[in-house]
Amino acid sequence: MTTPSQPTVLERASAKRKKPLLARVPADFVRAVLKGHSALGLAFAAAIYLVCLSGSLAVFAHEFQRWELAGLPRVEVLSAEAAQRALAEAVRRGGAGVEHVYITPPSADLPQATVHVEGTAGKESTWLADAEGRIAARADMPWTEFITRLHIHLHLPQVWGMFLVGLTGVALLSSLISGILAHPRILRDAFHLRLGGARRLQEADLHNRIGVWALPFHVLVSLSGAVLGLTTLIVGVLGMALFQGDTAKVYALFIAQEPREDPRPAPVIDLRPMFAQVERLAPGGQVSLVMLEHPTEMGAAALFYVDRGGRRLADRDSFAFERGGRLYHEKRAADANLGESILGSIGKLHFGWFGGYLVKIAYALLGLGLTYLAAGGVTIWLARRRDKRNPAPGLERLWAATLWGQPAALAGAALTALLAPSAGTMVPLATWGAVTLVGLASAVRLSVFAIRRIGRVFTGALLLATATIHAGTIGGTDPVAWTIDGVLVLSGAALLFARRRSRPAP
Amino acid sequence: MTDTIAMILILAGGLAGTVALRRAWQAKAADKPRWRALGWAAIGGSMAWPAWVLGPARGPFIAASLVPVAALVVVGAGAQVRAARAGRAANGSLAPEPVERSTTRWRTTLRWLLAGPIGMIAAMAVGICYAVWIPGAPQTRLLIGALIVPVVWGGAMAWTLADARILRATAVLVGTALAGFAISILKGFA
Repeated sequence: MTTPSQPTVLERASAKRKKPLLARVPADFVRAVLKGHSALGLAFAAAIYLVCLSGSLAVFAHEFQRWELAGLPRVEVLSAEAAQRALAEAVRRGGAGVEHVYITPPSADLPQATVHVEGTAGKESTWLADAEGRIAARADMPWTEFITRLHIHLHLPQVWGMFLVGLTGVALLSSLISGILAHPRILRDAFHLRLGGARRLQEADLHNRIGVWALPFHVLVSLSGAVLGLTTLIVGVLGMALFQGDTAKVYALFIAQEPREDPRPAPVIDLRPMFAQVERLAPGGQVSLVMLEHPTEMGAAALFYVDRGGRRLADRDSFAFERGGRLYHEKRAADANLGESILGSIGKLHFGWFGGYLVKIAYALLGLGLTYLAAGGVTIWLARRRDKRNPAPGLERLWAATLWGQPAALAGAALTALLAPSAGTMVPLATWGAVTLVGLASAVRLSVFAIRRIGRVFTGALLLATATIHAGTIGGTDPVAWTIDGVLVLSGAALLFARRRSRPAP
Repeated sequence: MTDTIAMILILAGGLAGTVALRRAWQAKAADKPRWRALGWAAIGGSMAWPAWVLGPARGPFIAASLVPVAALVVVGAGAQVRAARAGRAANGSLAPEPVERSTTRWRTTLRWLLAGPIGMIAAMAVGICYAVWIPGAPQTRLLIGALIVPVVWGGAMAWTLADARILRATAVLVGTALAGFAISILKGFA
């Protein structure tokens, strides 16, 4: 017999039905998924942290380029005549045997005209042109190149580095899947953010709130990043499985064919009639990139990318010309199928380059949130061990050194890139590597509190020094460059101020 | 200019929607549905209308990056700041503990092989199978196939690292890889 205070079977079933879906997931399943989530997070935390931190900065690659080249002429428009002059001059300076040239005319967010020359012996140089097409200076931007390459392939050999970054994207995507499945209190805790009390609860709240509320962004960047990183592998397997190992057939479905080889020497290819054709083919469009194949050979060709400035994500037409001006490839964004549109959008979506400064700022903030997600996961695991009276002080120190070593290493890389701009990415890379190693070594002797404090002070001081030296040596009139200096000063001051307020954890 | 105004409106919609959801979260049972419906309507609307103003794909993606920022602002504004204390948090506030399972070296190795290379090969097989068998433009089939690969691989990773029955996971992933590649090669890409 059932007493009035006990729920009947029907009432119990009804109550079960009313529970949110995730709250009905069996506890054993949640604990098993949490085990996998924890293992994956620990295995990939450092890689996810580094890729997300560098990615949050790489969102502003164009702005960093303006910051590094702030003292050089800004250009609003590059005429066909000026582009031709800049090409001829850059090729002459590039020396014999030019393989490829990339001309980037100015755009709204990057008012600079650059010409990048690739020689046969792997020699590369980038030049900045003025509005008349005269070469104004070498376009040395080692910090921009350093941070973007760090994010794209971790400065490893490109194929392996991109695979590793792609794998990190997959691990992140997997962590998002397991994180949601392992979070039965997703609705009950939706707005809980309890800061300052028990460390584990604070970190868990931050981890879960950032993870859940920014989930669309997290899925978008991890999926697009994984696809971009795994492109070589996916294309390789597709080629092997479906095209008898010929990956060129896969690429041929998406990009313009290479021109017919004719290595006889010739004067520099004349782009002016091609610019005129492009104007007729895509009236109102803005040439965003001109890629040249063997510009000093008879078999030269030019591929023009033209932004149509519409509301489409993939709004880029492409036209390719042979040396004589014959159009041999024409692809319009308006006629693109879904696959071509995805390909044309995926890079923009990954880096946040599709909605102006507001979207870039949102991407940087959410990217830093994702960085915190990776950092917080390990912090929670360490706090859980401490709660269970099984602390891992060595790992706690190592993790603190990893977390605080990277901001300091990146700030050091920016500073040294600024001090030695013509030395390429070697100087910032060496600085980043050295500071990272010293940071990790500090975990042997220093306490977690000392590592955090030194990391904050060092990063703050480096940021202030970078802004001061930039303003003093490069200066310029570009408001974007001054904004970056201002952000560096504020960030540096905030880190130094935080140092004064921080006290050892009890 | 239109873009900036539209983005500010998206942020405002995201803020309003999240505030309404917060009210639903705090409200008594009777008031919850009203606030919840209002909140989701505001967030859904903020994700949808930009398609007409900012572009059919561009608009929703702009919203997908701005609405989470607005939501996190609301969550942050409602943070409770407590006095710092050492020691454990109340167990009821924390996630369950991960399962403790005994394991052996070969099981651990197999588990990571499944999560890594075997999961990757199975995911490739599914992606290629899609590209081969689903009708449509070749570029679309290949791109969607490529997008499927990390999703399936990520899912396989989450599953194999969680599932205690490791032989089941092995059988499913190896079977998926073999079947996927076999039926893809049978048809070929056309």
